[in-house]
Parts: sequence; C-alpha cells; structure tokens
Amino acid sequence: MLCAAAGASGADTTPPAPTSLAPLPAHVSFRNHVIPVMTKMGCNSGACHGAAAGKNGFKLTLRGYDPETDYVTLTRQAAGRRTNPLEPARSLILLKPTRTIPHMGGRRFEVGSPEYRVIAAWIAAGMPPPTEADARIRSVEVTPARRVLAEGDELQLAVKARFSDGTVEDVTRWARYTSGDETVAEVGDTGLVKMQGYGETAINVSYLSQVAPARVAVPFPLSVPAEVYAQAERRNFIDDLVLAKLQQLHFAPAGLCTDAEFVRRAFLDAAGILPRPEDVDRFGADTSAAKRERLVDALLERPEFVDYWAYKWSDVLLVSSRKLSRKSAQAFYDWIREGVAANKPWDAFARELTTAAGRSDEQGAVNYFLIHRSPIDLAESYTQAFLGLTLTCARCHNHPLEKWTQRDYYGFANLFARVAHKSEGGSFVVYSTPAGDLNLGQGSSSPRIGKPLPPRPLDGKPLPLGAAQDRREYVARWLTAADNTLFARAVVNRVWGNFLGRGLVNPVDDLRSTNPASNDELFAAVARDFVAHGYDVKRLIRTIMTSATYQRSSQTSALNIDDDRYYSHYLIRRLPAEVILDAFSQVTGVPEKFEGYPLGTRALQLPDTRVKSYFLTAFGRPERLVTSAAERQQDPTLAQALHVINGDTLNRKLMAEGGTIDRLAAAAAGDAAVVRALYLSALSREPTPAEDAALLKALAGPEGAPAAPSNRRLAVEDVAWALLTSKEFLFNH
Amino acid sequence: MIRLDADRCVHFCDGLTRRDFLHAGTIGVLGLTLSDLFRLKAYGAVEEDNDVNVIMLFLVGAPSQLDTWDMKPDAPAEVRGPYKPIPTNVPGIQISEVFPRMAKHADKYALLRSVYYSGVAVHDAGHQVMQTGRLFQAGFEYPHVGSVLGFLKGPKGDVPAHVLLPRPIGNTGGNMPHGQTAGFLGKPHDPFVLNADPSDPSFKVPDLLPPDYISALRADRRRSLRPVVDGAVKGFEASPQARLLDSSFHEAYNLISSVRAREAFELGKETDKVKDRYGRNRFGMSCLLARRLIEAGVRFVTVNMFETVFNEITWDIHGSAPFSPISCYGDLLGPMFDNAYSSLLEDLHDRGMLENTLVLAMGEFGRTPKVNPAGGRDHWPQCWTIVWAGGGVKGGQVVGASDEIGAYPKDRPASASSVAATVLRAIGVNLEADLPGPQNRPLRVVDHGVEPIKELF
Repeated sequence: MLCAAAGASGADTTPPAPTSLAPLPAHVSFRNHVIPVMTKMGCNSGACHGAAAGKNGFKLTLRGYDPETDYVTLTRQAAGRRTNPLEPARSLILLKPTRTIPHMGGRRFEVGSPEYRVIAAWIAAGMPPPTEADARIRSVEVTPARRVLAEGDELQLAVKARFSDGTVEDVTRWARYTSGDETVAEVGDTGLVKMQGYGETAINVSYLSQVAPARVAVPFPLSVPAEVYAQAERRNFIDDLVLAKLQQLHFAPAGLCTDAEFVRRAFLDAAGILPRPEDVDRFGADTSAAKRERLVDALLERPEFVDYWAYKWSDVLLVSSRKLSRKSAQAFYDWIREGVAANKPWDAFARELTTAAGRSDEQGAVNYFLIHRSPIDLAESYTQAFLGLTLTCARCHNHPLEKWTQRDYYGFANLFARVAHKSEGGSFVVYSTPAGDLNLGQGSSSPRIGKPLPPRPLDGKPLPLGAAQDRREYVARWLTAADNTLFARAVVNRVWGNFLGRGLVNPVDDLRSTNPASNDELFAAVARDFVAHGYDVKRLIRTIMTSATYQRSSQTSALNIDDDRYYSHYLIRRLPAEVILDAFSQVTGVPEKFEGYPLGTRALQLPDTRVKSYFLTAFGRPERLVTSAAERQQDPTLAQALHVINGDTLNRKLMAEGGTIDRLAAAAAGDAAVVRALYLSALSREPTPAEDAALLKALAGPEGAPAAPSNRRLAVEDVAWALLTSKEFLFNH
Repeated sequence: MIRLDADRCVHFCDGLTRRDFLHAGTIGVLGLTLSDLFRLKAYGAVEEDNDVNVIMLFLVGAPSQLDTWDMKPDAPAEVRGPYKPIPTNVPGIQISEVFPRMAKHADKYALLRSVYYSGVAVHDAGHQVMQTGRLFQAGFEYPHVGSVLGFLKGPKGDVPAHVLLPRPIGNTGGNMPHGQTAGFLGKPHDPFVLNADPSDPSFKVPDLLPPDYISALRADRRRSLRPVVDGAVKGFEASPQARLLDSSFHEAYNLISSVRAREAFELGKETDKVKDRYGRNRFGMSCLLARRLIEAGVRFVTVNMFETVFNEITWDIHGSAPFSPISCYGDLLGPMFDNAYSSLLEDLHDRGMLENTLVLAMGEFGRTPKVNPAGGRDHWPQCWTIVWAGGGVKGGQVVGASDEIGAYPKDRPASASSVAATVLRAIGVNLEADLPGPQNRPLRVVDHGVEPIKELF
C-alpha cells in the first residue's frame, strides 16, 4: 500500500520505506504508542473527538495531551464498551474506526493494519494505564536531515524516537508530517516527500510532543558561472555565507547599489529619515574608499537613530497609554530611549526589564508589568518579545507543532506569579512578593494539573516551589545565559529583518524550531558574532550595514528574480507609516501636529500609538495590543491611495503657507532649480533628462510662457505631489 | 505568469503556522480588470449571461436556530427557550416571534434548516467555512465567494465588484483569518471595505471625493505626472508590494471618477421614511446601502452585522459577560434584523430586483440545543438554519430538517461547503472550473464532491 521511494537524484542513502507490517513494539505503552496512533489517525484532532465538546459523546484530549484523562475515557466511560479486554476485537475503538460498525468519521484504518494491531495488542495486554514510570520521549530524529533534490524527485524520510530509558524506536509510520511550503515539496502521511517546485523548505515531523525538521531543496534551473560567486563583492562573513547559499540554489548576486541609492537606503533603514540634499551632495563628493562605513558610523550617532530604535522596541514592548497613564507610558518610553541612546547591551536591557521594581513614573521599565498584569499574559508576551516563541497554544493543550507542553507553559508562567503592584500616590509600585504561586484551580483551562507547578524556565531547571529566591532574577539569568541561543537570535532576526526586508526567519518573531531560517549557517554566525561582542546592538547594525549583502542593488535579473529570501538583491519594501508621514513633513517643511504633543514632534518620536492619526492608522501603524510583528501592516491598500489622492494629510502640507513648496514657487531661481530641489529632497537624486523635460513642461504656463505666480504655485504643488506619491518615494529600494 | 506573494504568516487554530501564499496569477501593472476578463474566458469558469448579484448578510456571533428560524415548541423547556413561534404567510412555516415583519414575507424566502460543518466551534473557523466553503489549511487562505465572483467576472463598469460593509470582522477570539479576503487570489481582489459607519449622520466614504481646493484640472495633471516620476527605478516590477501599490492607485482613480459609485454611497438620497423602515442603526443603514450598491452595479455586497462578539450585544448569547444574554433577541437584535431584512426584501421585490439578487442571511454556526446554566446557549456547528431569498431561490419552502431538539440534521444535511457551492452556482460559476492557486497550481472552485443544494431553486 505504500509507495516505494523513487530513485531520488543523489539519494545515495535513502532509507527504506516503512513496511505495512512494521514490527510491533515489545510492550505496547498507552502513552507512547496508543496515543500516537490515535493522533496520527486523527481521532483526537480538533475536528473529531479532540473538539472541546467531543463528538457524539466521545471526547478525547486534543492530540492526546492528557493521556491520563484519555485512559479513563477509553476504559471506564460508555459502560466500558470502548475497550473490551476479553474480546479486544469487540472494542468500540476498533469496531468504529475500521467501520465494522457505522462511524460518522469514516474508515480510519483497516482490520489487521499496524494501527489496529497496536491498539488490539494494548487491549489484549489488559490495557495497562499510563504511569509516572513510563519512559518519556526525549527527541525525534529525521533522516536525511537535509537533501538537495531535483523537481519531481521523491524522498522517503525515516523517523526515530528516543526515549528517556534509552530505547530508540522507528516511528516513521506514526509520525506526522507537514510541509513548510507545499509549492516546493509535498509530504504524504507515510513521510514520502515529493518535490513540486524550486526552492527550499522544511518538512516538519512530529511525534508525541517532539518535533524536528528535515530540509529539502531543489535548485532553480538557472546556470550561473562559478566566477560570479568568486568575484562577487565580499566585505565580511555575512557575504561569504550569503553567497554560499546563493550558489547552492543557483541564484546570482546583484551588484552593489549606487552611492545615491545607498545614502537614501541607509538613512531610512537606520534612522527612519530621508537624507537632506546636502547629505546627498556631501556623500557624493566624498572620494574616500571607506565612505560607506563612515556614513554608517555617523548615522549611528544621530538622534534620529535613537528615535527610530526606541520606537521599534516600543512596538515590541507594547508601550501605549491603553493600559498605562500617559505619564507612565512616557516613563516606559523614556527608559527604552535611554537604553538605545546609551547602546545598553541587549542582555542588560532585558535583565533590567525583567527584574524591574519601583514606581511606575520613576522606574520606567516596571510598566511592562502593568501592561501585562497576569503571569499568563507575561509568559506569552515575554517569550514572544525576547525569544520569538508563541506559547499561546500550550495554554489549553500541548503545543501541536512544538515541543512545549501544557506543563512547560504553566511552569513557566509560575515564574511571574510573584510580581505584585500597588497603587501609591497617583502611580503604581511594582515589587516582588516572597510567596505565592500561579493558581491552577478554578477558572483555569487546565483543571487536570490542579496544583501549582514548580516555576521552570523553558528547557531550564525548575526552582523548588518553596524557594525564597526572587523568581524574576532567576528568569533574567536564564534568559540571558550564553546557552540560551534563542535570546540572541530573536533580536538578531528583528534587526536583520529591519535592514534586509525579510527576517532570516520569517515572520521575524516566529522562531519555533519548525520554522527554520532561510540560511541556517548565516543565522547562527550572526547570532554568535552578536553574543561574542557583548550583545552590542549598534555593532550588529554596523556589521549588517557594512556588508556587501546589505549594499546590493534592488535591481533584479533573470538570474535572481525569483529569489525572495536568500538576499541576492535588496528587497524593496514600502516604508513604515511613521516614516512616510515624517518624510512628507520633512520634504514639505510642514510638520504634523499631534494632539497633546508640541508642534515639530515627529511621528517616530511619539511615545504612544494611541495618538490619533488617520494617516498612521490607514498606513498600518500597529496598535500595540499584542506582541506580534504582524500587527504592523506594510501592504499598500486602496484606502491609502485614496488618502494620498484626496485626503487632508499630504494635500494640506503641499498647500501650507510658509512651507518648502511656497518657498520654491516664490524663488526666482527658475523651474529647473525647483525640479532639482524637489528630486534631491524627496528622492535623493537628480531628475533624469526625460523627467526634467516632462516636469518643466508642467511648470511652464500655456505656450511655454511663464505662468502667473498663483498658477505656478499650484503647478509646483502638483509636481511635488507626483514625487511624493511615487513608488520610488514610498518605497525603500 | 508573475508570482505575487506577500510576506505574511497566518496562524491556524490547529497550531500550524504556515506561510501564507498570497499569490495572484497574472496581475498586470495596470488594467487588472481587463486581464481578469481575458482570464475568465480562458478558464470558462463563469456563465456570461448570468447576472445574479448577491447580498450576504453575515450575522456575526451566530444566531440560535432554536430562537429564530427552527422553533421547537414541543421540546422540553430547557431546549425550546423563551420565545414562541408565530405563523407566517405560508401555511405550515413558523418562525420566531422576534421577527414579526419577516413572517409576512415567508413566500419570498427558503429556510435551510440542516446546515452543519465538521470543525472546531470557534467563530473564526465558522467565518472561514461559511464564506469560502473551506476551513483554512495547508498554508492557504481561501477566497471569499464574493472575491471569486469578482476575480472571474471583474467589476461592472467603474464600481468595485465586491464591497464589504461597514468594516471587516475583527477579534472574535480565535485569532485566525475570517475568510473575508480574496486569499490566494491576491489582494487586488479583496473586497472594497467601507471602513465607516453608514448610520453616522455625517457618514461619507473616507477620501472618496477630491477636496474643494483641488480642481478637476489639477487632479488630472497630478494623475498624469505621477507616472512620469514612477518610471525611473527599475526593479520595482519584481516586487509584489510595488504592484499592489500600482493596483491600489488604479482602483482608487476608478472609484473617484465614478459618478455611479459616488451616488451609490450617498445615503442622503434616501428619504427619512425609507431610513426609518430599515432602522437607523449600523446594520439597517448597511442593508440600505447594500441595496443602493447593487443598483449601481456592485456584484456582491457582504454586510457584517457586527465586528466582534465581545462587550457588545450580538447573536453570541452565551448568557454571561462579555457576551450577550438570550433576551437580546427579543428586545434588540430581533427587531434590528427584522426591520432591515424585511425592508431589503420589500425594496428588492418592489423594484423587480429580487429575481436576480440573492439575499443570504446566515451566522457562522448554530447554538447548543440546551440552554446553559447562565441562561444562554453556546456554540454549535452541528446543525443550524440559514435564510435564502431571491436570485432564483424558490421562496415559501423549508429545505432540510433538524431532529426534534435542533441538534443534528435529520433530513438533507447541508455542509457549509455546499452552502458556498450553492452561492457560486447561483451566480453562474462553474463549480468544476479551476482557479489559479498558489504558484499557479490549479485549484478547484469547490472541492470534488461538493454539490450545490438544488432543492432551493
């Protein structure tokens, strides 16, 4: 019934397909064998008996996260008809899924199949219950872990499970498989991979609570001479690793961007501002070899760099006056800003935040614990912010695709059970209490756990429940320990994504093990470099910006146009909402007025996302309600187009008196100077001759005669509008 | 063909976070609708002469079948709930007393009393399956049926093919997509979202009209200057985001220059008397606006009755905060729906539009047959009732039946997928046709084996 693995190209060690008569384990364990069979067959899935209400009166825990409960359900409920130890074949859990008697869920397996025999053997053995002494799964291993194939190839995966008692079992048949990208590879229930198209993807394999990826790739059908890679510009280790990946997939790297492109790109990505015409001119005139490095160094010292990164970390930490007073939100923002200004090492930043105590208007960092007031909230938001992990699933059941169990979740949440706050003189005081645990009793979605779990970091050592040690200190030490690689990776990925347009792992805050990086070696190397240099964020930024990879042109060729994740060329993207609005203000010389903030405050300087602005909302400013990179919307929409065409924001800046447009229209310098000035300030370049000709024609009056002053003013406005709504302006490229 | 994909990740309730392949087949830089027209002919996916339009009233929160259109007066008290059935103008058909006006129009609609889906009882999942015909999986966001129609037929003239009123569904607890986009067909085929409250006295479509201070001549000049600047940087054509920007400007200009679109959105053209009949609330005014949009040539209008189920009175009657009590059907939602729906049917009928306008009123699932300890009812996707009118539907009938307590279909079970198939069939889509799926792999309009509910017609 199973397909034999076809001869995959280069598949010298393709393991044999699992046979339909796989040997049964010597002792069938309810926890380690029966549950995985039911999971694989879909019995306990959300659509079937794993639904919150069960199905037809038969309810299993979702994907078997609670074997003890399932055991009772299967052996005691329904008058014991589900399992019949005297005549196993008469058990409902064999009669129904084989459709020997009617089953709404159809036939799940055949009489006599390995699935059937596992369940039957367990029943015949007297239905031994799950016990504390059962061996526990430690890991799963997939072979091959990585393979380069050709389109149409097939590859049979083999999966082994390792248990705490040292046993190793072949679980290929009962592991579950999903493809990270079905356009690259599809995978069947038996672990047979079929390569569908070009690119690379992970096949995620899960068994019990453990998961592991296998990586498969099909190079693109392009032929790039080896010299292209040998001769490509290299500035640091990033470039070596990027080029190696490009060579593997047959993508050609783009050449370096021009100086004018670089200056604009660097200003926008590092500091969220446009270079002024004098910045562009000065950079263009600089003839030194290290001019790009020098520009990067200068940018990193600008106050706008601090604004930009303080804003970014405020997105991650959800700074807003939604749950805080304005004063507290400001204090929290100020604390973040000072950290960026001082280039506080990321581990110190995280440590201070984690252990913060004191008054909310004085110790800004404590506000994190006023935004997230429950251990549950904290557990989920904190892991997302600092580790790029989404634990939420494990609140109600074991994480379906990650190794985190419900016990991991509540053990972790209990680390935050002793954070307390009290009101004092118009603000709050956050402090640690010496006692108290996360109550898992009433109202908890996990009544089976019942009693508090020892506080335990993910994959860390638990603290005894009674320990007097400050739990947040313990979390902070674990978080920033050198062996907690996710901590460095999470921030590295966010910074990388900011500059390269796409995280090494995408989305930038989804670092679960089943969502591997587009370039593992590169990701590991950048993270190692970051740790080796003391979690220095500025240095990380400098390393990225000075690489040839960051400086590649956005211009694609036939040899890399299909690459959207391996960095063969700069990925163009729409600017963030705040950056566009600030750029409108900068080019027109008309600042935006935000209610409650002094005129001249830029959007990127706002400490609070609740400040009203239709423009910022329409262009996708995040609300900072949940820790998620997806909160920020970068896609162009119809509402945005309508707003820049007909809305007030840009149009009022263009017509404002005393602004740049006014000045340009009134100046005697002539139309060519007007066009040039607009191009330099908006696009950081000179107009092309064709552009010059078309725009000068628009500025000239009828018959080429000089336009009347009022008409000229309107014509300048309209030319400026065309520049400020162009893709070249709205995008970084 | 060009691949269009957006960097976005979708979280699914089964915990799989997969890449979201928002690819569109052949999005030209401009003139999307033209290429779409060519495509629909190539695919042979749609009947050219069919001109059935759709108004889909999405009753977010999920009405209880037992308190609306599938009354069980003979069931025990804990099942039948607080409301009584009343007769309608069709002998033998009874509906809840909370819809007295609707009872006078039973000859115009059919009740489908055996709808179900197999999947989690989470609002978001119900939204997906009822509007796209599928529960999202394998990394795909499937398209809303209105976007399938828009994709295959393109807009009629200068008004959008698919409009969503008044705002998209927001948080309903599941943190999953709600099936109100074009999914893998690509963002250019997303519905035009009003994003304003039509019951607001100062209601207008945001930024639809040019400001007074920009003359038509200047607006034209701006529009013609923009491409001058825009042509300089190459490399943009490879970017899906850049193409999206082009198409949004293109669409914006179509909309702005459309007199028909402008007038369609002008509720001020309706008399006070008409507005009062529909009910001067968000849902009532959205239904009135839906009628105007269909008159102006919009093919598909989706109306969300609510945007959330939290801290607002909705159909989601769990009985305790932050949800709604069962009593709200009698004193608020019943009248609100009754007035808007009845007025809509009356207007469409009187204008001779009902024959080619399908009006579908539905929630994302039903509710538990037994009243819970809080006096409410919980989620129940195993069986519920939805209401069909117009567009060729034979009114005055009941199709399908539930068991004696409204718990499971007893007769003619109708899957959520078959509901979507029925809508698509009514608007002339060939169900066996393929849509260009991710990376242009063909994907059937509906899955193999899913059949429309023919008894309705």
